[in-house]
Amino acid sequence: MGRAAGVAGNGQRLWRSAEEFADTGEFREFLEREFPAGASRLVESSRRTFLRLMGASVALAGAATIPGCRRPDHTILPYSKNVPEEVIPGKPLYYATSLPIQGGGAEGLLVETHEGRPTKVEGNPLHPINRGKSSIWSQACVLDLYDPDRTMSVVYRGGAVEKSATWDDFRAWSLEHFAGYDASGGQGLAFLVEKKSSPTRAAIRDRIRARWPKADWVPFDACDSPSAVEGARIALGSPMAEVFDFTKARVVVSLDRNVLHGEAGSLRWARDFASTRRVKTTGDTMSRLYVVESGVTETGSQADHRLRLAPTRVAAFAVALAKEILANRRVRGSESLRRAVNAISDPGGGSLDRRFIEELAKDLMDSDHLGRSIIVAGPTQPPEVHALVHALNGALGNVGSTVRYRPIGADVAADSARGIAELSRRINGGQVSTLVVIGSNPVFNAPGDLDFGEKFKSVQTTICLSLDHNETESLATWSINAAHALESWGDAAAWDGTISPIQPMIAPLYDGVSDIELLDLIATRAKQDEWEQVKPDGHALVQATWRGRLGEAGFDKRWRRALHDGVISAGSDASAARIDYDAVAEAASRVRLVAGPGEGSLEVVFTPTAFGDGRLANNAWIQELPQFGTRIVWDNPALVSPATARRLGLEPDSYTVKEPKGHMARVSVNGRRIEMPVWILPGMADQTILLPMGLGRTVCGLVARKSGFNVFPLRESAGALAIGGAGLERIAGKYPISSTQNHWSMEGRTGILRQVDLAAWKKFGDDPFGDLDERGKEMLLRDAYGRERREMNFAERLGESAHSPANVSIYDNPFNESREGAAPGSRYAKRPQWGMSIDLSSCIGCGVCTIACQSENNIPVVGKKEVRKGREMTWIRVDRYYVGEELDDPSAVVSQPVTCQQCENAPCETVCPVNATVHGPEGLNEMVYNRCIGTRYCANNCPYKVRRFNFFDWSEQKFNGNYVGKDLMPGGGPENVNLIPPLVRERLDEISKMRMNPNVTVRSRGVMEKCTFCVQRLNAARVESKLQGLSDIPDGFVQSACQQACPADAISFGDLLDESSRVHEERASQLSYRLLGFLDTRPRLTYRTRVWNPNPRLVDQARRRTWDNPFGHGEGGHEESGGGEGHAFLFDSSKTARDRGYALSLRVLGAGVNA
Amino acid sequence: MSTLDPDKATAEQLAAGRIAPGPDVELGLADASLVDDPARRAPLVLNNRSFHEVTDIISGYTENKPGKWWWPVFGFTATVAGVGVLMILYLIFTGVGVWGLNNQVDWAWDITNFVFWIGIGHAGTLISAILCLFKQKWRTAINRSAEAMTIFAVICAGLFPAIHVGRIWFIWFVFPIPTYNYIWPNFRSPLLWDVFAVSTYFTVSLMFWYMGMIPDLAMLRDRAAKRLKHSPGVPRALPMLSIRADTIRLWVYGVLSVGWRFSSRHWHRYEKAYLILAGLATPLVLSVHSIVSMDFATAVLPGWHTTIFPPYFVAGAIFGGFAMVLFLLIPARELYPNMKDFITHRHLENMAKILLVTGSMVGFSYTMEFFIAWYSGNEYELFAFKNRATGPYWWAYWTMISCNVLSPQLFWIKRCRQHAGWVFLVALLVTIGMWFERFVIIVTSLHRAFLPGEWGMFFPTPVDILTFTGSCGIFLTLFLLFMRYLPIFAVAELKAVMPQADPHHHGDEDAGGPEPAAAKEPA
Repeated sequence: MGRAAGVAGNGQRLWRSAEEFADTGEFREFLEREFPAGASRLVESSRRTFLRLMGASVALAGAATIPGCRRPDHTILPYSKNVPEEVIPGKPLYYATSLPIQGGGAEGLLVETHEGRPTKVEGNPLHPINRGKSSIWSQACVLDLYDPDRTMSVVYRGGAVEKSATWDDFRAWSLEHFAGYDASGGQGLAFLVEKKSSPTRAAIRDRIRARWPKADWVPFDACDSPSAVEGARIALGSPMAEVFDFTKARVVVSLDRNVLHGEAGSLRWARDFASTRRVKTTGDTMSRLYVVESGVTETGSQADHRLRLAPTRVAAFAVALAKEILANRRVRGSESLRRAVNAISDPGGGSLDRRFIEELAKDLMDSDHLGRSIIVAGPTQPPEVHALVHALNGALGNVGSTVRYRPIGADVAADSARGIAELSRRINGGQVSTLVVIGSNPVFNAPGDLDFGEKFKSVQTTICLSLDHNETESLATWSINAAHALESWGDAAAWDGTISPIQPMIAPLYDGVSDIELLDLIATRAKQDEWEQVKPDGHALVQATWRGRLGEAGFDKRWRRALHDGVISAGSDASAARIDYDAVAEAASRVRLVAGPGEGSLEVVFTPTAFGDGRLANNAWIQELPQFGTRIVWDNPALVSPATARRLGLEPDSYTVKEPKGHMARVSVNGRRIEMPVWILPGMADQTILLPMGLGRTVCGLVARKSGFNVFPLRESAGALAIGGAGLERIAGKYPISSTQNHWSMEGRTGILRQVDLAAWKKFGDDPFGDLDERGKEMLLRDAYGRERREMNFAERLGESAHSPANVSIYDNPFNESREGAAPGSRYAKRPQWGMSIDLSSCIGCGVCTIACQSENNIPVVGKKEVRKGREMTWIRVDRYYVGEELDDPSAVVSQPVTCQQCENAPCETVCPVNATVHGPEGLNEMVYNRCIGTRYCANNCPYKVRRFNFFDWSEQKFNGNYVGKDLMPGGGPENVNLIPPLVRERLDEISKMRMNPNVTVRSRGVMEKCTFCVQRLNAARVESKLQGLSDIPDGFVQSACQQACPADAISFGDLLDESSRVHEERASQLSYRLLGFLDTRPRLTYRTRVWNPNPRLVDQARRRTWDNPFGHGEGGHEESGGGEGHAFLFDSSKTARDRGYALSLRVLGAGVNA
Repeated sequence: MSTLDPDKATAEQLAAGRIAPGPDVELGLADASLVDDPARRAPLVLNNRSFHEVTDIISGYTENKPGKWWWPVFGFTATVAGVGVLMILYLIFTGVGVWGLNNQVDWAWDITNFVFWIGIGHAGTLISAILCLFKQKWRTAINRSAEAMTIFAVICAGLFPAIHVGRIWFIWFVFPIPTYNYIWPNFRSPLLWDVFAVSTYFTVSLMFWYMGMIPDLAMLRDRAAKRLKHSPGVPRALPMLSIRADTIRLWVYGVLSVGWRFSSRHWHRYEKAYLILAGLATPLVLSVHSIVSMDFATAVLPGWHTTIFPPYFVAGAIFGGFAMVLFLLIPARELYPNMKDFITHRHLENMAKILLVTGSMVGFSYTMEFFIAWYSGNEYELFAFKNRATGPYWWAYWTMISCNVLSPQLFWIKRCRQHAGWVFLVALLVTIGMWFERFVIIVTSLHRAFLPGEWGMFFPTPVDILTFTGSCGIFLTLFLLFMRYLPIFAVAELKAVMPQADPHHHGDEDAGGPEPAAAKEPA
């Protein structure tokens, strides 16, 4: 039990003596002598202890309903209304909640809990942002919850002494302390809080402001830039957030913005965008995406036309585009803007592709596309460019159609950099005596020119609420352990304005408190001897907020409904806004374009990563998720283009050497410099350095230790994310980098990831042999031996099958009944027969599938060193290929998720000597862990290389710092845990075990594993459908983890024999092909050819020729085939049916599905 | 009396270095066996040895103190073997991850070593069985040691598949034991065929080797018994033990020789059994490596999926096996007194010719692989071979080519194949080259397979290296023990190819020299 004294497990106050009851100073001293520092931490927690505590708490809660128990004493409602009141052991319950996103915004989640412990997170189908989908951050948040390196108790550092304290100690202390500021109106009091869109927190903020008008309230997000908000302020008059409707957009232009991934609204936008890119018939049309960017992002990889430009040149591009559009497109009030834009001179104008800009402008101004396009500007762009983009959207008629705006709260709109700079100045002036830091880590990630660490130390009293041990928390006078979002009450507004409640899935594991509870305590005025009564209660606070908003009448019912649905107020409050062209013109007149970075003066770009502002650095799933473009794990080297690397002598090692290393280099910006390794990223702008933010933590958990480099010291209090005039020079030393995929090219094996242009698809999609006469057809449909091939579809004619002999066995293989068109009544003609289809047009390469699979299937992480050896364990990986002839200027970046193809004719099955991998009656290639002895022959014979071997006891053990030779490591101290030999890792602690999915075997060492199509879910669905009296498992009733998470809906999965299923339809498509199908493995996973929609006026002759013959032989070339007038580019007609199946599977959505 | 005290006699003689050679044919050659005159039959035993001398010399290898080199060499190999055993224990306790394998290259040095050792294990049975059936008399000088080498190589070979599995404690799943949950092994898997093929081969080879040794073991037993009877007191097994070495010999060789009494009936049975075993072993020589090659040939991987593999692997195995025989016997010939009388330059030359033939066969296979890859028109297939020659492991490929294809071409030159030094050098290179051949087939095919997204590299760890050198240590240690304690020549067979065995002297007086046998050997 964690507490030294004072409060029992149930929160009831106990006392052992009158002194204790009176809480005298002598008694506290006595307590601290008796229980030395650390005694109160729940260090040796075991599951037994945990369960005992839970049990005891429940009993007491029932008896006395005392608030503050370990088990939440407020009833939270299961998501389903059909689930019996009692928990059925072995059956998970789903609860809706929400997860705030760093920088504002939120995701709606549905959390799977097993006997009270959350194990897996899914998107809430009722939440408009998620619609059942989820991001890597929400998928990974369970790992944070059970992170053994979390802060576990309150720590007080008075003078030089560090003492373990309790929440009660803090409460008692804080009342007295904060009362002292009442007289001065809060003079000297400052709050540095993370940006959050929580109505309850806003309400408490208002209470604090009311109590102390002079106190500073600084919302801070280390990764943001003020330009978007400033741009909106210029163009719209007030801070507004853009809400896009990609489903209507025909042309999308992104100016250095990764709009499809990583933003608070990205989940929805990626889904909507993908729906406009998915072609089914030759009559369908597609949207077209133009991307101009400095790095290589998920959005850029989707672009039909992509230019790589440094951020300053992107601004010039925006201006040039604006000139072109405004010259031809006049709307009321835009005249002044046209003049102002025309007056902007571009010193580096020649570096822009004029033709590209002209054709882009023409495409945007096409009468079909007016009001149906979207232009977005990214955070690297100055406010003026953002304002200009708003104006262009206005001029093109997009505002109110595809682009709408909604006001954002003051906290989210705040300028982080200016705020912390101001705070810093006040600290310097001695004007801050108490600083409360909530959910933020400014000592680590404040702009480097502020030297915030020193300033923080100089503040007399600092209070820090933190989930993990971090740089700020370790220096604070009071460090308070926070409750995770899955442990606390709250509320959060999503990017589109939808507000969701946050409800705890589990009692705080370490008695942490939430931000609203801490702020409420501070805001509450009370006498010091009343401290026992002042018990902030998150549930009460959230309810109070909503009681005020929803009204007292029927509140309980509405509140329960909100908890059940996970949505309090759905729907967006976004609307069209009036663009103030004159203000934009005025701003445009201030624009001074520059010629762009040169050889002597590079441009640095701070890019967001999955690590956020550093808070996710201790999450091993995120650490081991390959980063987009480079596929690097566990690190964040500075990235430059191959040409720039060559020029500066910074080319990294080839991966064919044993430990590929990057050169160490010094990046300098305006006199500040950091040293970090350099790696190349083909496809990014030349003379530009990408600095991925979020790693390089120094005070952190074991996972984050010594991983990566901190780039925040180079940031400036001006807040810009792109800074010119930077230097990069090579210094002595090299640094090893681990990547899951170092090979860039597809090696001309275009049959692997098939791509075709829309024009070619329109021409041949209906009749793939249309270009051949009878004799040609005869030749193609018969192989060299005159045997008939299976009729090939369009996609198959694009690949090897058209060129290789038919794969006909001369034997009838008696062991393989699993053939296509199985005879009626035979084993493989019985439903269900599982299959999957992955749409390469939709996949944006974000990697959610990888983390969702990792979470669902208990897949271990292996660490940087083992990844370097090629031993990563992910069951579904996303292969990344660069397309084009040269690495310096690739024409595209494409992604292909690869997982077990569940071959009907599986090469792995025949070679296993012990029958450990066998074929199941439902067409699955099943892996029998208990039978596996680990010969690894199956993995060798797998053409897709999707099998993963447990070279060590990955799953059972965790990283631990204690090992022989630790002290011999250079530098001493805690070292990177990834270097620890596996043998000396420690067994998993009880808390870490709690995150495991109980329905999936934890694999021991020496065992092969691979994707099972989530067989545990299939089995659960089979049981459930029988219980519900369904003859077959309906489509959508079961989803694989990757499919469920995929924001772009690229993965479809289901019963192939179900004629109405989406997977059946996708596989029947002319675009569907089998990966390496010529091997006759007959995969149950098929891919849909990636379709591009390039602007016909922007493609070269060679590419145009492929439209007349995409099949790789013969030549031709006549004029393009027309644009097509189709309308069905949004294919969600069958979604309702699928959602119904899905709803059944969760038994949560009644008739009220508003999908 | 030397007849009754053979120990003493040979000891004296050996102390002087060697038993004085008898008169031999003077041909002006380094070695009379190299006679190139079609009218003369090359002698298979030089220096006009008598039966008795042959017995004394060969028994002397086990009965006398070994040369000064033996203990340091044995100490070294035993240490290497010990390190290897420690590495294996470390591997078993920690996990296969202590090797450099990964998810792209799931087999590397483990299976390379397995195929390497299995290949070496081919020469012994080939020499004993196939050359026996073909009545090649020269085999008699090398068959015993080659068979021993086979046994030890197969032991080393069997080690690797056993320890390469992830869970060695369940390795019994590969045996068709009907009691385990009614789950049978997968009879479609070539790995299972390996289990059967290798274990059969080992069993038959062991029987063949042991059975051939029985008369010679009986000879050692009898000599020990004779000494015990006639010269009590010396020597002892160890200075402080009162047990005499000959007592141990009497018992151990006595048990091992299973009651052999040199009777005609025994010899009759022995000859028949020997012939039957030779007949049984002959197809095994061809089948084992064919089946090992099917581990690869039945896979879908470019570079593995090739129909040429079975004959190519068998040729390679004979190639590598003969190289290893030469590699072991040429130094032994120098180190053991009088061994040159039995293993003549003619023997070396014959084996060198086999190396030349099989090396050229292997070279032909390498060429055909490239041709077929090109001819197939399959880009994956062609890439696999281009990648071998020019990819990251080009050095392994070119090591293989220069050692296996180029170096045996030296044997077109007569001086080279008749010169023990050159033959040893080539044998050494071929042994290295054959290891690399397996490395090239396994690692370079695996590391860049179908999907470029999953290409990787393999790098050996110290454990990889020490496990392999450990297996070499085990092999050499076993071989040294064999040389020390067992009859390293098939004495009876060797005597049968001596001129003295042919009392009618079919016109071979010149080659066989004067009539020494009757004069020297007391009846």
